Amino acid sequence: MKIRKITDNKRNYIEMLLLADPQEDMIEKYLDDGEMFLLEDHGDPKTVCVVELLKNRRCELKNIATVEKDQGKGYGKYMIHYVCEHYSNRCDVMYVGTGNSRKTLEFYEKCGFVNSHMVMNFFVDHYDQPIYEDGVRLIDMIYLKKNLESEVDVKKVVDLALEAGRILLKNGAEIFRVEETITRICHRFHVDHVDIFTLSHGLFISAENGNEEAYTKVKHVPLSASHLGIVAEVNALSREISAGDVGIDEATERLKEIEKMPSMKKYFQVLASGIASGTFGYMMGANVIESFVTFGIGCVLGTWMLLVKKYGMSKIISNIVGGVIISTLAIAAKNILNQADLRIDGMVIGSIMPLVPGLAFVNAIRDIADSDFLSGTVRMIDAILVFVYIAVGMGLTFSIYNNMLGGPLL
Amino acid sequence: MMREIFANILCPFVGTIAFSALYNVPNQYYFCCGITGAAGWIMYQCALEYSSAAIASFFGTLVVVLVSRMLTVRMKCPITIFLVSGILPLVPGAGIYYTVYYLVTNQLGLAAQKGLESVKIAFAIVLGIVCIVSIPREVFQYTYWKERRKRKG
Repeated sequence: MKIRKITDNKRNYIEMLLLADPQEDMIEKYLDDGEMFLLEDHGDPKTVCVVELLKNRRCELKNIATVEKDQGKGYGKYMIHYVCEHYSNRCDVMYVGTGNSRKTLEFYEKCGFVNSHMVMNFFVDHYDQPIYEDGVRLIDMIYLKKNLESEVDVKKVVDLALEAGRILLKNGAEIFRVEETITRICHRFHVDHVDIFTLSHGLFISAENGNEEAYTKVKHVPLSASHLGIVAEVNALSREISAGDVGIDEATERLKEIEKMPSMKKYFQVLASGIASGTFGYMMGANVIESFVTFGIGCVLGTWMLLVKKYGMSKIISNIVGGVIISTLAIAAKNILNQADLRIDGMVIGSIMPLVPGLAFVNAIRDIADSDFLSGTVRMIDAILVFVYIAVGMGLTFSIYNNMLGGPLL
Repeated sequence: MMREIFANILCPFVGTIAFSALYNVPNQYYFCCGITGAAGWIMYQCALEYSSAAIASFFGTLVVVLVSRMLTVRMKCPITIFLVSGILPLVPGAGIYYTVYYLVTNQLGLAAQKGLESVKIAFAIVLGIVCIVSIPREVFQYTYWKERRKRKG
């Protein structure tokens, strides 16, 4: 069973539409403005329906018809369920107007519609010929309505919200942003009771909307390399979702695409690391030659960081070796170039910068400022440890150079 | 004079952009990241003339966070983007180097002094961020000031 939206050649299905609405000029009225859906089973068209959007977040089911030989097999019910979910993003209430026939009223009631209002003499005024159904002449139009909120699948919403939260957390967003995004998505799709507990490496979410049982999910989010571009994209998506422009299925698709967003090109990363080191070195008081050496060291460090990412090495190794690389290269440069005005400190201070855990540090502070102490502390320890690792790496090299090889520092 | 201008305006600008590239910031934000970093560093240097490194870092951070928050509202994107790259020039990278250096050369007094100074700078940054982050969001929105003016008549 597959349902698709029909955008052109809607008149091809006029035969089926006429089953539900026997007068063609009445169908013409809503056919162009309404949105048409077709249910196919094994390639055969079974059910067709037309929905028209009204003002103030309402919509009306104008026509729904199933081919005669397949009536009563549940196609119509499935179609209504699909349409309700589809429009729950854009509308709060769906109306349907029908004649006073017991069979159709029972069908709509089974689909969750309740009585709304009545239009007197509708069928007498608008139709040329009297319409009979089950031997009774139809006179008044009875409108039924359905609250679309109840049609939203809590599990689907929670899965979407959780996925968005996971991607945000993994790529270096603050706890506050993660929780706000999840709440925003859930509220958008009318899941109002939602509890979130976020740690720096885990998400716990429990939700219900009053109709179904509570749904709870836990997600482990290991610490990994961050990507602020993805954070920005997910943030933009969540804005669109809360504005009501994006539905559940589309949002899920887009999240998948966002997560595949590539990093910078490799040579660019190496170059950026070099430029960052060189300029920061000069800024902190190195001279021109030192800055150029720093640029070189930064490039080597950038290559090392790429290797670390490729082989998934631990933070301890990557930062200690990073510290060793910086200090070894600085010492080597001083000895090889043998220039009087080449100071080790001038070179090292700039080259440390690409290793500095700026993101972890800033996020830790922001989490603590938002009173998310648990995650804040974990991230702060993460940042402090990175500082310590760098220091250990540099200290190791310096002490070997100073104590064993007897080389003068400074 | 040329060196001062080059080192204090252009270098933090370019350096911050390079860092934002390392953090995979989308390229339409590069320029704003650069401005944030440069503004913070200029403030830091100005304050350093009259005070200690820690206090200067505090003022530098204030400027960085203030600029980031204004840019966030304007560009409609997470504050992290500007904050992380903008704060980097103020992070005490040199502090670690000197601490380690004095430790290795057995000048423990100096090592402690440098280490504590780095911690002080770190706390100054924390304080700076917390100060500005706790300002309510509306203050940074243009409409807030427009409506306020209207209310006053």
